[in-house]
Amino acid sequence: MIEALLQTLLNGAASGGVYVLVALGYTLVFSVLGVINFAQGALFSLGGYLTYLLMGGRIGVNGALPGWGLPGGLPFWLALLLAAAGSGLMALLVERLAFAPLRHRRAEPLLALITSLGAGVVLVNLLQILMGAEGYAFPQHGEALAGLPDALQIGGARIRTIQLLLLLISSVAVLGLTLWLERSRHGQALRAVAEDPATAQLLGIDSEAMVRLAFLLSGALAGLGGGLIGMSVSLAGPYVGISYGLKGLAVLVLGGLGSVPGAIAGGLLMGLAEALVPSAASGWRDALAFGVLFAVLLLRPSGLLGRRLVEKV
Amino acid sequence: MTISAPPSPSPSLRPSPIEQRRRGALRLTALLAAGIGALAWLGRSSDPAARPLTAGPLTLGAAVAFTGNANLYGQDQRTGLAVAERWAQQSAPGGRAVRLQLEDGASDEASAIAAFNLLIRNGVIALIGPTLSQQAFAADPIAQRRGVPVVAPSNTAKGIPQIGHFISRVSAQSSVIAPLSIDEALRRDPAIRRVAVFYAQDDAYSTAETAIFQKALAARGLTPVSVQRSQLADNDFQNPITAALQQRPQLVVISAQAVDGGNLIRQLRELGYRGGIVVGNGLNTPNIYPICQRWCDGILIAQAYSPDLDTPINRTFRQLYRQANGDRPPPQITAQAFTAYQVLVEAIQRLQRQGGLSGVSLGQARANLMAELLRGRYDTPLGPIAFSPEGEVRQQRFYVAEVRMAPGGRSGRFALVRERTLPETAP
Repeated sequence: MIEALLQTLLNGAASGGVYVLVALGYTLVFSVLGVINFAQGALFSLGGYLTYLLMGGRIGVNGALPGWGLPGGLPFWLALLLAAAGSGLMALLVERLAFAPLRHRRAEPLLALITSLGAGVVLVNLLQILMGAEGYAFPQHGEALAGLPDALQIGGARIRTIQLLLLLISSVAVLGLTLWLERSRHGQALRAVAEDPATAQLLGIDSEAMVRLAFLLSGALAGLGGGLIGMSVSLAGPYVGISYGLKGLAVLVLGGLGSVPGAIAGGLLMGLAEALVPSAASGWRDALAFGVLFAVLLLRPSGLLGRRLVEKV
Repeated sequence: MTISAPPSPSPSLRPSPIEQRRRGALRLTALLAAGIGALAWLGRSSDPAARPLTAGPLTLGAAVAFTGNANLYGQDQRTGLAVAERWAQQSAPGGRAVRLQLEDGASDEASAIAAFNLLIRNGVIALIGPTLSQQAFAADPIAQRRGVPVVAPSNTAKGIPQIGHFISRVSAQSSVIAPLSIDEALRRDPAIRRVAVFYAQDDAYSTAETAIFQKALAARGLTPVSVQRSQLADNDFQNPITAALQQRPQLVVISAQAVDGGNLIRQLRELGYRGGIVVGNGLNTPNIYPICQRWCDGILIAQAYSPDLDTPINRTFRQLYRQANGDRPPPQITAQAFTAYQVLVEAIQRLQRQGGLSGVSLGQARANLMAELLRGRYDTPLGPIAFSPEGEVRQQRFYVAEVRMAPGGRSGRFALVRERTLPETAP
């Protein structure tokens, strides 16, 4: 009984860790702009492919440059960090192309949903043209985890080693981001812009720079998630990030729009809800997980840890 | 000169309100009739089926997945069609010229329908595709209604040719192939009693195939100890695997597509499962190697094609494939796409010789082609095949292969372990 419970908790935490990364990316952008960046799933895919290439992986036969690859290969950890940075830079480009022009014209925020969705679709299609549709395994999978067993036994429950690492890295990233937001000057400035952009501007904070910073960080988090998932389950094509993007979106709403602790709690709850679905009803896992989302929103429309919006009259 | 106003009609000459309404209604009716007539004329003139068949090249339309989850298969199919075009140029000079128009059928039903509609409007004589059975159930009825022959290269779900008399396939249905791999697993370990079944519940092909697998298991006295359902988009299977492994299965049977199935196999092995794995046709592609890597090793799969088949047409196919794709052996899906093109081209050439393409409309030519297609016997890379009157492929040679991965798990091959000859009328 305890073994089964522990297995469920481990399963839920492992899935939830990745959802948290994606949801945090959404949260950062939403908190400063009040819009959702639908390109987040594509940035997730980009992070996976960049990690693969930086580790010395080669483009497959269906790609634009079959057999091409970077000379040599970086260790997984370094490749992962650089890929996260690359995804962050791409997120900046998405901001410049899909968000900034509309923002500067004071266009309806809904339009940014469409332009970001378009940017995401273009990015995924570019990845497909460049890399082809085939799946990719990270080239140094064996070496990166050399000496580690495929799975670990923890109190009678089994978990794949890579998933445990994924959970640890996600936790470190989330903790680092939380501390940075709380303690650093830039983090506090970002929170100030999220709280009230006009007042923050009056206090001398460059709101535009903070928007760019939010995009950079959200892209980096998506890229980190993509690299970790690529290591965990291989890259199954350019669309790999889309389902994670959708799940992250659900977590964003579940936790409370714009709430960092909410994204963390929502991601873990979503993972746990999926893991709690009994095997006989495994086909209804997504339905039950989204049922939890539905129930939470009925009871708390602002999400688990979101603030209630008070309309000023 | 003064301009005076015309005299107003006397009240007795002015039409009554009832007359005015009657005239208005007549005008409206005439306008509507003219509009409908114009639309009907335009519709007739834009329906290529009504036009006489020209002497120029005939166009075959192919709607396969360039994008979406099924694009792994779509890429293999495009390769097969490209090889088939080269084969046609070399082997049928002087015959009726045939050109291929490719459209992205993507991986969903709406895109397949759109691609079929576009190709039909463009006046293709026959269609190849779509990639997934799920799409075929949506798109094939459109071709059937418009009287356009369809040859499905990769739809193996039950009921595809039964959509209509213009629908056929060269991909043997799962019920013929799937049980062969179960037999091989039981031959290797007759003590197997505990079987776990996994399948993608949101995929028509996988759900149809798992029913066949489970029926085959029941016929051999085996009841699944665990049945786990997943989704095509899943890639983390920790939950269903740990649930299934608690039942200590000796054999795992998987019906899924390449991406989700490949990940499932890898995670099964990583989580400690060491027993046999039998997989269905969705994993019948070398594209699984990069996904499950060294963990692919040893899985059993029944196939409708073997690169080892030593016939002239398969040697030609292998040679043409190698020219463009290096030393990799061609996968089944590529061979089936080649075959779909080959049977259509051969039927067209026979029909041309018989005069069935002269002085007829495109619609009549399509009907003649369908009849000729079903009449023929074909020597293909899959072996000799024919069609039932319903359009079901009649194939005798099938194979069971075992995936053997190279050291390092970067590449592998489907190694032939058994060849089976079945009667053409097998279900």
